[in-house]
Amino acid sequence: MNAVISIAKTTIGEAIRRRVLLVILLIGVLFLVIAPGLSVLSARQNYTVLTSFTLGIIQLTSAVIAIVLTVYLLPNEVERRTIYTILSKPVYRWHFLLGKYLGAVGALFMMMVLMSTVLVLVFKIMQKDASMDDVMRLATAPIFFFVQMSLLAAVAMFFSTFVSPIVNIFLSGGVYLIGTLFSPVFQDLSNNKSLSPAVKGAATLVHTVVPNFAQYNIQSGIINRGPELRSVEFYYATIVGYALIYIAVFLIAGMMIFDRKEV
Amino acid sequence: MMRLKRAPLLASIVALVAVGGALNRTAYPVWVSNYSPRVDADISGLQADQLLIALAGFREMVAGILWVRADTFFDEGNYDAILPIIRLVTMLDPKQIDVYATGMWHIAYNFTDEQNRSDRRYIPSALALGAEGARNNNYTYELFFETGWLWYHKIDDDYDHAVDWWEQAAEHKDMQVARKNILSMAYLRAGKLDEAIGHYEGLLNNAQAELKKNPNEFANRQNVDTLEGNLDNLLVRMAQRGNFAIKGGYYNEWDYDTKPAYDVGFTAQVTVEDAKVLRVEGTWGVQPVGTRIRIVLRDRDNASGRPAAMVWERSNKVDLDPEKDITFMQDGLFVKNQAFYRRVDMARDPTMYPFSSDNYVVEFYYNPRSGPPHIQDRFGFSGEGMTDKNYLNTEVREGQRVVYARLEFTRDQLLRQGEWATKVPILRTKGYVATGSRQTNEVINVPGLRNEPQTEE
Amino acid sequence: MLRYGLLERALGSTAPRLRWYNRIAIFPGGLCLLNLAIETKNLTKTYKTSSGPQSVVKDLDLQVERGEIFGFLGPNGAGKTTTIKILLGIIDSTSGEASVLGNPAGDIESHRKLSYLPEKPYYYEHMTGMEITQFYASLFGIKDRELCERLLNRVNLGNDMNRPIAQYSKGMQQRVGLAQSLLNDPELLFLDEPTGGLDPIAHIEIRDLILKFRDEGRTVFISSHELSDVERICDRVAIINKGEMVHQGRLDQLLSGGRIEITADNVTEELSAKFRSEESTVSFKAGRLIADIPDSMKPGEVIDAIRAVGGDVVSIIPRRKRLEDLFLESVAGDNVIKGRKLSKMTDDHDDHIGSGESTGTEEEVSS
Repeated sequence: MNAVISIAKTTIGEAIRRRVLLVILLIGVLFLVIAPGLSVLSARQNYTVLTSFTLGIIQLTSAVIAIVLTVYLLPNEVERRTIYTILSKPVYRWHFLLGKYLGAVGALFMMMVLMSTVLVLVFKIMQKDASMDDVMRLATAPIFFFVQMSLLAAVAMFFSTFVSPIVNIFLSGGVYLIGTLFSPVFQDLSNNKSLSPAVKGAATLVHTVVPNFAQYNIQSGIINRGPELRSVEFYYATIVGYALIYIAVFLIAGMMIFDRKEV
Repeated sequence: MMRLKRAPLLASIVALVAVGGALNRTAYPVWVSNYSPRVDADISGLQADQLLIALAGFREMVAGILWVRADTFFDEGNYDAILPIIRLVTMLDPKQIDVYATGMWHIAYNFTDEQNRSDRRYIPSALALGAEGARNNNYTYELFFETGWLWYHKIDDDYDHAVDWWEQAAEHKDMQVARKNILSMAYLRAGKLDEAIGHYEGLLNNAQAELKKNPNEFANRQNVDTLEGNLDNLLVRMAQRGNFAIKGGYYNEWDYDTKPAYDVGFTAQVTVEDAKVLRVEGTWGVQPVGTRIRIVLRDRDNASGRPAAMVWERSNKVDLDPEKDITFMQDGLFVKNQAFYRRVDMARDPTMYPFSSDNYVVEFYYNPRSGPPHIQDRFGFSGEGMTDKNYLNTEVREGQRVVYARLEFTRDQLLRQGEWATKVPILRTKGYVATGSRQTNEVINVPGLRNEPQTEE
Repeated sequence: MLRYGLLERALGSTAPRLRWYNRIAIFPGGLCLLNLAIETKNLTKTYKTSSGPQSVVKDLDLQVERGEIFGFLGPNGAGKTTTIKILLGIIDSTSGEASVLGNPAGDIESHRKLSYLPEKPYYYEHMTGMEITQFYASLFGIKDRELCERLLNRVNLGNDMNRPIAQYSKGMQQRVGLAQSLLNDPELLFLDEPTGGLDPIAHIEIRDLILKFRDEGRTVFISSHELSDVERICDRVAIINKGEMVHQGRLDQLLSGGRIEITADNVTEELSAKFRSEESTVSFKAGRLIADIPDSMKPGEVIDAIRAVGGDVVSIIPRRKRLEDLFLESVAGDNVIKGRKLSKMTDDHDDHIGSGESTGTEEEVSS
């Protein structure tokens, strides 16, 4: 496990120095900072627009970072031949893959913590009467975005074991879109009584197999200040468990492919 | 080279996916009911880019901005433009209850013709929107209350539904005590007098307990006072109207305000003055002001119709494009000097009154439950103090004595075409009395009902 | 000799359980110690290409003995890097067997005892020489900072160990590479073009280090184009071309058996005719003979023949073959033009075919 941790650490060190990621991060932070200007346009909906916009920015920025960061991790190692020196050490390939993945998640974590800090600051400045509870509520959203992004990074890591980075960006992005936007659509299709069993079956299959990213977006509950779910902890535990399971699935599948890949 | 063994890994993947699927089956419905946009609603009104941005995490923002945009349309009176926004906003952010509340109110009230009659074909949509909002936000009383209000105030006829919704609303802890009073009003109009008293008493007990806890809280004192006043009023009215006597079986032994049943002497005449223009006049032998007789013109054979009304609770689907081939006109005939007169002009709103079927009915309907208390005092909660020698009806509304008359017109008559191009169609109820001078008399006499002799037969 | 791979199969066991006979070969008549660091038998690597299967390595039999410096030579595309990758377990062979330090190639146990320095290595540029060395140490589970310091001092990076790699010259990066390759005190070192692209001083330093490695008892497997280096430091070499073994053996044996240059005066035309053949070059003018002949004739016989006709031997010089000649002979007609000086070939690593999609050019180093 020493090797896994070392590889993860090195990956973090590299990732947080990658210019392209820093530029994306900077753009995200800039949007967070100008967000209050946007909500002035809609005074009546100030809170709603500010919260939704800033959380949306964090989600979007993190997703782009997660994909761009992860898709290049393995190919870069091969291209620069660092992988050969590492694999000629007593390091299993799956150690290497796991280390790279954990490094990606670690780097994501650091970047998301930065954005969340900016979010809380902007929120505190703009919503002066916000209580500590309100801030804590708001801060829950990025936590689950992080879980979501960790899952997305696992998907990108899986694809990077057998496709090129550019293809991977589209593949991972596509899976993310399907898992985020169309999860409700597939759910609806699979429950639609008027559809043929074949269509319903296909919809159910897609709905079951494609990782469900949608359920990590809990901002509706934060924005509308509805009541907490009676068993919100149970819900949170369930979706985190789901993420861990799917991360394991994608990493294991990735390891199986990477284990036999000729690099 | 030492390689991972595939079989156990594949098996573990299958097992993990199975567990993941099970977790998803637990978690996803929770997400759908608490955090999700509503795509079961019709999303065809959305452009792809809107949909993408909206669903990509900026849902509430887009909803918020759209709702602000709707303000502009309100100001401009561009009500049609607001409909898709309402639908979109409630879909993107089903937790924005004020959009549901304002939206349903808007749909139900704001589409009117040139004479300010609502387009009631939208009411089923408004109700469906309210029901959807309540489903999506069942943690709060608000949309249960709002939907009940639509039944109580806008439909103003079928109070059992208002009772249903408000009972559900009252189960929510966040409903203010002052608002809970209204459930008793709905009970009364639904003829459920015991429930009305019971509800008042329950509220009063709670209010008194609250007052005991916080005697210095003004609101608590006010609640107790209001509830005591309401309960007193109700009990006095019930006593005067003989409701206790009816229940106790001694109604015939004493005099009550509702005895003997008063003949309202309803007659009416409808003249098709011009294509789609009706002149309606008639008599109503009640002196005090405050009577509005409902007049409805509707397709005779359309399945959505029912006597002097429509089947309001038609579907769960919010349909912003209601059946446009239905003609449904409803208006109130204001009675003064024991007569009514109104010119109903439907010619200037062809979309609201398409006249696409062959046969129509014009209906007159009066139900004392919708009337003001001073008239109810004479007629009773269910019309027991009211009669009409020609048009008293106990069938069109179960358990209620209402006045109901019905005249039939053909399309040719209403459009003044065919053989009716030159002839003027005039239909009259039995024993129609020309109202003549009553119409022009601007003086409104306000005598009492009980002590004064009838001025006319 | 029964190969242990066969034995392994016969016993149906896995490598770790066979450690007891790692160094033992079984002959029909008994057991004896096996002293090979690397051994391959019929090693073949075939890639599927659009024009059909193409073998990059064909039936390669390699034997590298322990404690020697072994030169692995071949022109570009001969299959050198592919072979090294197979030996390191980075890719699988299509058929044949390969064992490294007594274990099947790629065995994680052997990886504890070997190290690999790739051609033109890249190190994470944000890290210092010390950090990168510690990173590689951690892959062995080594947390000894002093060891890292010692190794960096050994490769003369003592003063620069805390500077980021980005500021290092090529030679310094190569030396960091050597330092990291010594972390596990390896029995076997794979060095791919260890002196490629270095200035002469760095070149000599590295060459001396490699010789020291041998003195310390390590086996060094060098894949190189630098024929002069190889000739100077290698004990044995293998030359492969188009994936096939052309020569393998001790350098002195491979290069011995050269030619003889004879200069003599006062000899007869007849005698000079005796030396003429297809393989010789003979000039005769005014009684002086200058002949360059294969060493199939022994020098004593040549002297006797000259003396027999009353001639005077001026000089007889036996000439050893140069590695360059051997190399040219080995790959003649295929990859090089005969007679072209090959002492320094292009230093591209030999690309293998069909290893999946390209990941970009070397210059594209991400930020």
